[in-house]
Amino acid sequence: MLFNDWLEDNSKIILFNGAMGTELIKRGLPPGKIPDLMNIENPEMIIDIHKSYYKAGSDMCQTNSFGSTPMNLKRYNLEDQIEDIITKALENIRKVCPKDHLVVADIGPTGEFRPPVGSATLEQWHSSFSTQAKLLEKGVDLWHIETISDIEEMITAIKAIRGVSQKPIIASMTYQKTKRGFFTIMGDSLEKCIELLENEKVDVIGANCTIGSKEMVELFKIAVKLTNKPFSVKPNAGQPRIEGARTYYEQPIVEFTKDIYEMIQNGAKIVGGCCGTSPQTIKELRKIIDSI
Amino acid sequence: MSQEEIYTEICNAIVNLDEEKAINLAKKAVKEEIDLLEVIENGYAAGIRRVGELWEEGEFFLPELMKGAQIMQNCMDIIIPHLQKGSERISLGTVVIATIEGDIHSIGKTIVATMLRAYGFEVFDLGADVPAEKIIDIAIEKNADIIGVSALLTTTMIGQKKIIDLLKEKNLADKFKVIFGGAPVTSTWVEECNADGFADNAIEAIQLVKSLLNK
Repeated sequence: MLFNDWLEDNSKIILFNGAMGTELIKRGLPPGKIPDLMNIENPEMIIDIHKSYYKAGSDMCQTNSFGSTPMNLKRYNLEDQIEDIITKALENIRKVCPKDHLVVADIGPTGEFRPPVGSATLEQWHSSFSTQAKLLEKGVDLWHIETISDIEEMITAIKAIRGVSQKPIIASMTYQKTKRGFFTIMGDSLEKCIELLENEKVDVIGANCTIGSKEMVELFKIAVKLTNKPFSVKPNAGQPRIEGARTYYEQPIVEFTKDIYEMIQNGAKIVGGCCGTSPQTIKELRKIIDSI
Repeated sequence: MSQEEIYTEICNAIVNLDEEKAINLAKKAVKEEIDLLEVIENGYAAGIRRVGELWEEGEFFLPELMKGAQIMQNCMDIIIPHLQKGSERISLGTVVIATIEGDIHSIGKTIVATMLRAYGFEVFDLGADVPAEKIIDIAIEKNADIIGVSALLTTTMIGQKKIIDLLKEKNLADKFKVIFGGAPVTSTWVEECNADGFADNAIEAIQLVKSLLNK
């Protein structure tokens, strides 16, 4: 399988895609609308974004399915449309995925927390991820579970996916920097997450979102000492500046790519971007990777 | 055990998130007819303030913050019915809080509501995706002092402004203080909307509400 070949090839740095959400906002995603619904309502827009990432040089891109779990869709009264949303998500990306490139199933958090923060149960999480994974399985090459802030939710997602698929899994938690180190908002430390993800035998451990590339460089320096697993980094394009009702990610691309370069030098296997990154960012990263 | 020692023990039970102990101490305070207002202020409220500080310092995380507030609330449910008439813990004020229409992110708003309750405010949490009109109607009905509006999306922030505009339209602008919350909210946005303030987190929200009400 291509992805496993890439993992085994020491000279290969895998280039992931950049953001979907902020690209959709740029293209006028209406207020309060879940990006996943755009698979049905505006497939051309989604196809265009996927296409621009593959064209910019991404080896693999993610389906537009971050929020497509029954638990999350229910909050938008869209749970009945899950099959259509995911079927279209697969169609949209498959149409433009070039040969020898990969389609990654994007799995985001359910949006519901365990007590005492929320009222979700492990069973609800499992059932929700399982439904999403069953629908995605036929059209994807591997999995990326991302932006998760509770390690128990991550482990539940991994188990749910393993129940329906043998394909490789990248497991990316989202951390904030505290004075005691990197922790999720639920209090899971980077050290604890890496240990538990190693126990789960995921193929790649990762970190994405919340922090910008500068802090990700710091996080990665710690992470690399804690695991021999391949590591994936998808930081945000710095911290956003908010003006009125609009958000601007103004970090110069060259700063972002410089940080990514440093992480590659330190051993990052998969690199890409989260909020605020664009096809232009990926294009610059492609140049850097090709020059190594 | 002196009263001071009981207060310290209560405070520690809250900070240690020891629900059983905190509840037993509430029952003991009721049974032994200790001054319950003192018990609340010097024991439970002191404890929850410390929990809030630990969260701000990055020692505690969301589960600890929420657990602390919930234990506090459960203890208040035991104590408050036993307060003597006329000595009720005076509510610090009434807050109507909601996440604005089109936005389903409720966690930050729920944390603020829980903490405000723990600190002694009367809070009506209307949930998420609530139209501006409904928030105002309920604020009128409950005679609220403060309206808190959360938005986590830059695309739904505009709904926060709608609250202010509607209040002006209805000549109610002076009746309520309106505060904003949510990751994308900044002081510039608050000024632009002519709102009364915003807070970055639950602890700041409490300080903000207190200062707006001169408590």
